[in-house]
Amino acid sequence: MTSLADHPIDVAERQLFWRRFREHRLALFSGVLLVIIAMLALLAPLIESAMGIDATRVDLFNQYALPNATHWLGTDEAGRDVFLRLLYGGRISLLVGLVAAFAAAIIGTTIGLLAGYYGGRLDAMLMRTTDGVIALPILPLLIVLAAVDLNKVGVPTAIAESEIVSLYRMMFIIAIVGWTTVARLVRSATLSVRSREFVRAAEAMGARPWRIMARHILPNVVSPIIVATTLSIGSIILLESVLSFLGLGIQPPTPSWGNMLTNAQELITRAPQLAVYPGLMIFVTVIAFNFLGDGLQDALDPRASRR
Amino acid sequence: MLKWGKYVAVATLVVMFIPATAKAAKDELIIGISQFPTGFHPNLSSHVALSLIHGMTRRSFTVYDADWKLICLLCAELPTRSDGTIRDWQTEDGTPGLEVDYAIRDDAVWGDGTPVTTKDVLFTWQVGRVPEAGINNQELYRRMENIVALDDKRFTIQWNKRTCDAEAINDFEIVPAHLEATAAEDPAQYRSRNIYDSEPTNAGLYFGPYRISRVEPGASVTLEPNPTWWGQKPQFKRIVVRTIENTAALEANLLSGEIDYIAGEDGISLDQALTFQKRHGDEYNVVFKPGLFYEHIDLNLDNSILSDLRVRQALLHAIDREAMSERLFEGKQPVAHTSIHPLDSVHVGEVRKYAFDTKRAGELLDEAGWTDIRGGVRHNAAGEPLRLEIMTTSGNRVRELVEQVIQSNLRDAGVDLRIRNEPARVYFGRTLRQREYTGLAMFAWFSSPQNVPRTTLHSTMIPTAENSWSGQNYTGYVSPAMDEAIDKVEVECGAAEQAKWWRTIQTEYAENLPVLPLYFRANAFIMPKWLSGVTPTGHQYPSTLWIENWTAQ
Amino acid sequence: MLTFLARRLLGTVIVLAVMSFVIFLLIGLMPGDPIDIMIASNPDLTTADGERLKRLHGLDLPITERYWNWLTAALGGDLGYSRTFNRPVLDILLPRLGNTIILLGIASLTAIAIALPLGFAAAVNPHSLTDNGINMFCFAGISVPAFWLAILLILLFAVTLGVLPAGGMGPVGGGGGFFDRLEFLVLPVLTLTIASLAGYTRFARASMMEAMRQDYVRTAYAKGLSVRNVVVGHAMRNALLPLVTVVALDFGALFSGALITETMFGYLGMGKLMFDSILANDFNLALVGLLFATLLVLVGNFLADIAYAAIDPRISFKSLADQ
Repeated sequence: MTSLADHPIDVAERQLFWRRFREHRLALFSGVLLVIIAMLALLAPLIESAMGIDATRVDLFNQYALPNATHWLGTDEAGRDVFLRLLYGGRISLLVGLVAAFAAAIIGTTIGLLAGYYGGRLDAMLMRTTDGVIALPILPLLIVLAAVDLNKVGVPTAIAESEIVSLYRMMFIIAIVGWTTVARLVRSATLSVRSREFVRAAEAMGARPWRIMARHILPNVVSPIIVATTLSIGSIILLESVLSFLGLGIQPPTPSWGNMLTNAQELITRAPQLAVYPGLMIFVTVIAFNFLGDGLQDALDPRASRR
Repeated sequence: MLKWGKYVAVATLVVMFIPATAKAAKDELIIGISQFPTGFHPNLSSHVALSLIHGMTRRSFTVYDADWKLICLLCAELPTRSDGTIRDWQTEDGTPGLEVDYAIRDDAVWGDGTPVTTKDVLFTWQVGRVPEAGINNQELYRRMENIVALDDKRFTIQWNKRTCDAEAINDFEIVPAHLEATAAEDPAQYRSRNIYDSEPTNAGLYFGPYRISRVEPGASVTLEPNPTWWGQKPQFKRIVVRTIENTAALEANLLSGEIDYIAGEDGISLDQALTFQKRHGDEYNVVFKPGLFYEHIDLNLDNSILSDLRVRQALLHAIDREAMSERLFEGKQPVAHTSIHPLDSVHVGEVRKYAFDTKRAGELLDEAGWTDIRGGVRHNAAGEPLRLEIMTTSGNRVRELVEQVIQSNLRDAGVDLRIRNEPARVYFGRTLRQREYTGLAMFAWFSSPQNVPRTTLHSTMIPTAENSWSGQNYTGYVSPAMDEAIDKVEVECGAAEQAKWWRTIQTEYAENLPVLPLYFRANAFIMPKWLSGVTPTGHQYPSTLWIENWTAQ
Repeated sequence: MLTFLARRLLGTVIVLAVMSFVIFLLIGLMPGDPIDIMIASNPDLTTADGERLKRLHGLDLPITERYWNWLTAALGGDLGYSRTFNRPVLDILLPRLGNTIILLGIASLTAIAIALPLGFAAAVNPHSLTDNGINMFCFAGISVPAFWLAILLILLFAVTLGVLPAGGMGPVGGGGGFFDRLEFLVLPVLTLTIASLAGYTRFARASMMEAMRQDYVRTAYAKGLSVRNVVVGHAMRNALLPLVTVVALDFGALFSGALITETMFGYLGMGKLMFDSILANDFNLALVGLLFATLLVLVGNFLADIAYAAIDPRISFKSLADQ
């Protein structure tokens, strides 16, 4: 996808892409839905001031309120507005999911392409590294990083001392350990495409390796990449909630769908609704991303045009 | 016979998921807790789950009972000065010390029939003194200069320090010499060879009402009555201690009848228990016991903002502790005013108290020079914002909730409080220990009654690189008056002196506020209606020490 | 074939060696250790006690020296004692490994057995009602974190219906035959299956669709072969390739993957053991456990490569050996 930008898709191709994408109703709908969710999340501060509520304001005399005119979805265990926290939480969850999943996809695609195309020692080295990274335990990594003094490593003070530094840390870790699935998938797909006639032909015509990889191989291996990446956006949003569960997630008072879910677990009998809202948001987002992925996959498939 | 009974019980348990069956079999009790002990040796492992189990299988010489009075369990009677069983003594180099006489109960016998004798006492003491053996509480053994065995049952401990609580040897846990001696021949190997860990079901290791009959590491410990127990016969034919780490799952296991009772010593969180009581209060007895868990916020006094007493007082005035106690914990966790629990015999009620008063907090901050309010945050004349950082253990839901309430409270007083939490091992292992926190640090102390706060408040206990971070005075609190009171309270044992020095400790604490007291945590014991006789203690000696009084009806 | 085996074996040994050092370093780099935490929560322990305990556990030596000591002992067959359990490492590890293999084996097989037909059914009629229904079902499964799924299942099956045990590994206090233990596996297996179902189904669907677009499948259609013959005979073989990769990857990730499920159901598997031993700085236990995990990943990928060669005629052992 990003690597596709290396070579321009001509205008006709682009129109074809859009036409095919629009035909995919569910994908289109999902795309629109995601844009709406993202917009709501981005506009959270504006909505907050329009509603005249302070999302971080604790009110111990208004805990667990049911939905009402002031608090559209009620309040949580600290008397805060659930609706606004969902919007703010969406910012974090979507950001973590998207950034980490795309970064992982890019790293994985690059490594998979190189390994599959060149083969030999490079392949062996890259794949054994991949094996190692797969087995790498993510939790001690997070704990080690949680303890690193970011000021000393040259991270700007504004970031190092901000409350969402745990967010950056998490995205970084997920990206550097999350690329392995994509890498293995791309490598195996590349292996089977490498020996095809059109690749051989391009080689015979003296095309440079990077061009062959980007122009001929990548479009043919894009489908597993999309499936893996859209699936992983969902699983990363969930991973964030598991990390909160283990005390390594996003820190309060910053909400995320994941830590809202985690907090609600102990309150399951007291206020089950607190789990339903973030759970529903994650469900809708995961579905939407995957349908969007389906649409993209169909629209990008070079052979579909030959139908 | 016992073995056969076991099979019958197992057969009944196969159909356990019908709760009625479990309740009918009242000669069995399944206790649910949330952690598993890391080992079974009483002196090598230190764990709340282990103390709960050993409460049923062992007895210490002395212990605090449910009324927080010192009593004898394994000893025949408490030594006193008036009996002449506590005497002044001097070490060879002239340090003032004490000699204290004890007698082991005549009827005390290990589970394999071997009598408990002074051999065991001497053996435990000797192992404890060897650093390589890895005994946890070495300070205790360092202070026991010598132990003289008078006969099989009577012995004298010679202490190299003259303290007021010399008769309390709660943590002197004796182990059977006849079983452990071989393992201790090479002290460096003792940790891995000791019988408690390699063969925890050996009957000879225990002398309580029960002994361990089966261990499933990580999951459960099964106990059977110990035939050689000298006291009142316990009622249950079998007790199983099951570990379920997730507290929501622990609660579900109780409801599904797979466990009978959630022990408060290591059970579910207080707000979970409060909800549970509302929904299932008529099926279970929920007992709340406020204990010696002192939740508080240490203030780093090296911080120029916090070194000003007025700021510290303002912070405490600005935090609505009453509302937290009422709304979050339904009054079950009383607001603390000092580190000494109201139930402790040395507690003093009339110290300075800081009621919730945002206006007063504002006045104090104005006096301290934080007058200029811009964007809701106070600034001083130099234009610096009143910004502080608060830390606690991440992933602890209740603490994180309290933290956010405090943040919101302080914002109303114009203080910008930032939250930066760390995983427990980083937070306790480095940040607190090396005083790397910059502002506020929330955590709890768990102690025994009448605990002298030397390590936390004495000025010689401030951890520094020079003393290789020893001591727990994490605030950096220096007060000659406090130092004197701590030094004196340990050695001036007269009633009047004790009252005087304990009063000084508490008044100094409340006046100077090196620490913001929050509240005393309460434990929730969730018992089935048919279980009676369980008396929560509220301190580190568990209710299972009186397991023989537990009955099913 | 022999060259291939020899090379892979060498590669495996190198990866294991490097991983053991990386893991050792990672655990060693974690600030604070359990002894510090013990001191911090108990005012009666002095820091001198802490220093003494650390010396005793060898925690005061530089990390490289500790690693060297460990490596030489391990190569000599002495994997050492677990620091937290005071027992030999393998005594603790092997029973857990067995439990994990039972739990994860059943869960993976169930997931694959359900996912393959679902994925293929979805792929044969893309964007149909069947396809969308299957997708929805899968996504619902991956949208719920394991700790939530577990507690909901416990509340439903153990508390409300009272038909299954809420947790544990077998009847309390031990005993019971295989079938008695079986009912304790139902809920954890269900939790894990639901969690991995979506991924497998989605990959099965995607690769099946991909395969059905290939020229030779089209040719088969053109020759008038039935859908059934085309799917079973041609497309399915190719569609299995990416799936093999994903399943092989999971093979190793399984170790830590079941951490939450194990915690919720009180199931004694490797995930929980690894997590606890890492947090407790139990070097011997954590290292051996993680090396087991690494080895499993390597074996999984090795099997996957062999499966490629078996499924795809274009990939031969010769080309594999060239790697």
